[in-house]
Amino acid sequence: MNALNRRQRTRLLLLAAGAVLLAVTLAGMLCRERAMETDFSRVNLAPGLSCLFGTDWMGRDMLARTLAGLSLSIRIGALTACVSAAIALALGVVSALSRAADALLSWLMDLFLGIPHILLVMLISLAFGRGFVGVAAGVSLSHWPSLARVIRGEVLQLRQAVYVQTARKLGVSRLRVVRRHLLPHLLPQVLTGLILQFPHAILHEASVTFLGFGLSSEQPAIGVILSESMRYLTTGRWWLALFPGLALVGVVLLFAAVGEHLRRLLSPSSAHQ
Amino acid sequence: MRRILAGLLTAALTAGILSGCGGGASPASTPGGGGEARQVVVAMDPNSEPASGFDPAFGWGAGEHVHEPLIQSTLTVTNADLTIGYDLATGYHVSEDGLTWTVTIRDDAVFTDGEALTAEDVAFTYNTVKESSSVNDFTMLDYAEAVDGTTVVFHMTRPFSIWPYTMAVVGIVPEHAYDPAAYGSNPIGSGRYKLVQWDRGQQVILEANPDYYGDAPQMQRVVILFMEEDAAFLAARTGQVDVAYTSATYSDQSVEGYTLTAYASVDNRGFNLPAVPAGTDEAGRTVGNDFTADVRVRRAINLGVDRQAMIDHVLNGYGSPAYSVCDGLPWYNPASEVAYDPEGATALLEEAGWALSGDGYRYKDGVRAELNLLYSTGDSVRQALCADFAGQMERLGIACTQEGVGWDTAYDRALSQPLVWGWGAHTPMELYNLYHTVGDSGSAQYSPYANPAVDEYMDRALASTDLEESYQLWQLAQWDGAAGVTQDGDIPWVWLVNVDHLYWVRDGLQIAEQKIHPHGHGWSIVNNVDRWSWSAGGER
Repeated sequence: MNALNRRQRTRLLLLAAGAVLLAVTLAGMLCRERAMETDFSRVNLAPGLSCLFGTDWMGRDMLARTLAGLSLSIRIGALTACVSAAIALALGVVSALSRAADALLSWLMDLFLGIPHILLVMLISLAFGRGFVGVAAGVSLSHWPSLARVIRGEVLQLRQAVYVQTARKLGVSRLRVVRRHLLPHLLPQVLTGLILQFPHAILHEASVTFLGFGLSSEQPAIGVILSESMRYLTTGRWWLALFPGLALVGVVLLFAAVGEHLRRLLSPSSAHQ
Repeated sequence: MRRILAGLLTAALTAGILSGCGGGASPASTPGGGGEARQVVVAMDPNSEPASGFDPAFGWGAGEHVHEPLIQSTLTVTNADLTIGYDLATGYHVSEDGLTWTVTIRDDAVFTDGEALTAEDVAFTYNTVKESSSVNDFTMLDYAEAVDGTTVVFHMTRPFSIWPYTMAVVGIVPEHAYDPAAYGSNPIGSGRYKLVQWDRGQQVILEANPDYYGDAPQMQRVVILFMEEDAAFLAARTGQVDVAYTSATYSDQSVEGYTLTAYASVDNRGFNLPAVPAGTDEAGRTVGNDFTADVRVRRAINLGVDRQAMIDHVLNGYGSPAYSVCDGLPWYNPASEVAYDPEGATALLEEAGWALSGDGYRYKDGVRAELNLLYSTGDSVRQALCADFAGQMERLGIACTQEGVGWDTAYDRALSQPLVWGWGAHTPMELYNLYHTVGDSGSAQYSPYANPAVDEYMDRALASTDLEESYQLWQLAQWDGAAGVTQDGDIPWVWLVNVDHLYWVRDGLQIAEQKIHPHGHGWSIVNNVDRWSWSAGGER
């Protein structure tokens, strides 16, 4: 390990975490069929060699369900994080470039930040008819304000930069300034913001589904698995909640780690350590 | 450091999510375990708590889940075999045209405020529920009038032979003390018990009515606690309740000092099979299903269901096979019964042109045999029944997908796709509601189906002036030897199982003989709580 400098180590860890997440995503997609398969001849098995995570009351393999659930969560997380980062970027830039839009958008950001996240996700999800569309809309439409605010601040600062001022004075069009000077500078911020959006999105997807406002109950989603397991905790079937819950926490931590390492690599203040 | 903090926060959040919904109601007082020998504490499902209070006009006793109202008297009662007996009534008579019911009532009933119960109160009650009932259909009643102190006459808009079953669930309220806004939380009745305390979301305390005209209740005090299933189980484990409702999920557990007791029910589960080809109605909804439109397919599905396997798998043995919506009731036609016959089912599918292909599924003209099965989200029993049914259908070569739906969309979706339903009521009207065409729509209400022969039997049954005779007509509506809704008939619904109602009962408590329980795992158990008792060697 000593032979590697900090940047290399960070890069290695980033790759490892990314690989694990990718593997979970792919494995989950592959065992989706298995996750939904019921077999009443092996119900309520405790974890053992044949079923590492045990089985539930319909004889479904909890390992397959956990993987499929995580995979689903990650994919929804990817989709919603991208959408909300795109919204944040667009609104952040617009808000910084136009005074009128800024007033309106700042008010909108305050409004969104003022409502508890989980409540907002639930309301939007309900309005979109629950299910996949509901969750995706709910999580994407509620997670942009904080990143949008960061971007707005960044753009406000950049606008005063000498090279931007000069470009404006030279008569370069506004659009071109945005494309040539602002966006490249914003990219690291957006990328880090996007990755750090993941754990939020995944947790919110799981919790809104757990509460019954998200994915439909036939889907092998972590929220569904956890809410189903509640009924069986008092009868001593601990494995139904423990492994999927731990796996969820693990994935969320991995994403947080990826985001953190990425920030270190991309941020000018730490990139050369 | 920040990462560790973030990790801890995430873990805490997940733990919060996990523990969020486990609480359930805890009893305000701890009534169990002490002194009072003529008291019983019963844990019930929170959904059993009457949302609008103990007012018959807003569903108490007479709502979706029928039971005896306890606090109020009814004119008639249903006997153990679901025939009709008398409570307040001393006799009834229906006119030849079926449009006038004359009921005489006893003269010794008094409300708990001391006022006598008269025919005026009865007429007032029925005119009130007709006007304001939010849950029951009273369109068959024109108006009720009291001709003298003990005789009430019901003028009907149409013949309705099963009126005595309606009279068995409508509690009589006092005309002099009825305010629709306040009555629900402060009911005055003439029944076996009076309400002494109601803590919303927690408990209801009933005490025996000392002025009751019938046999004095043996149980002086009845405490009903509303708890989630897991809380009820824990309450039994800690000895806080005498009776706790439970389900097959917990049936492999044991609780010291308690016996798991199962009561037979007509609380059935079944799928509707849309009996017309797919199309669109004027409201834009998809109605009908091309696969189940073929009667041979529906018959094959009914033959191919291994009901006993479902009971063993899903209900842990606590259930009975269901063949109709009314198994075991006086209007049930035993011709509904079918034996599990996978070969017969296969033959029917072949005959209908659905040939087995190399992939294990059946095809006809290039179309795969498919069912999308719906169940209500959050109901683990229905979900498991749906999964087991899907597995059994797959073995016949029918590809199945499953989908959890909320009740906000389920009714519309069921017009074109099979949905797991739960029915089972103490009135033949349920047959009418499921199989009779609605108005001039040309189709039954919940699943598209129509058969004029079936309609006619049910119309005749309602028009009959003799209850016994009407039972036979209800049976003929199910199967008359040539037409009906059974295996050899149109089979627009396939019935799977009747779910036994399970309870943890404290040793020493003698629960009186139960009527076959209707749909709804709630108040039915305490229908006759006045006749429960503690044996001498019991806990208390």
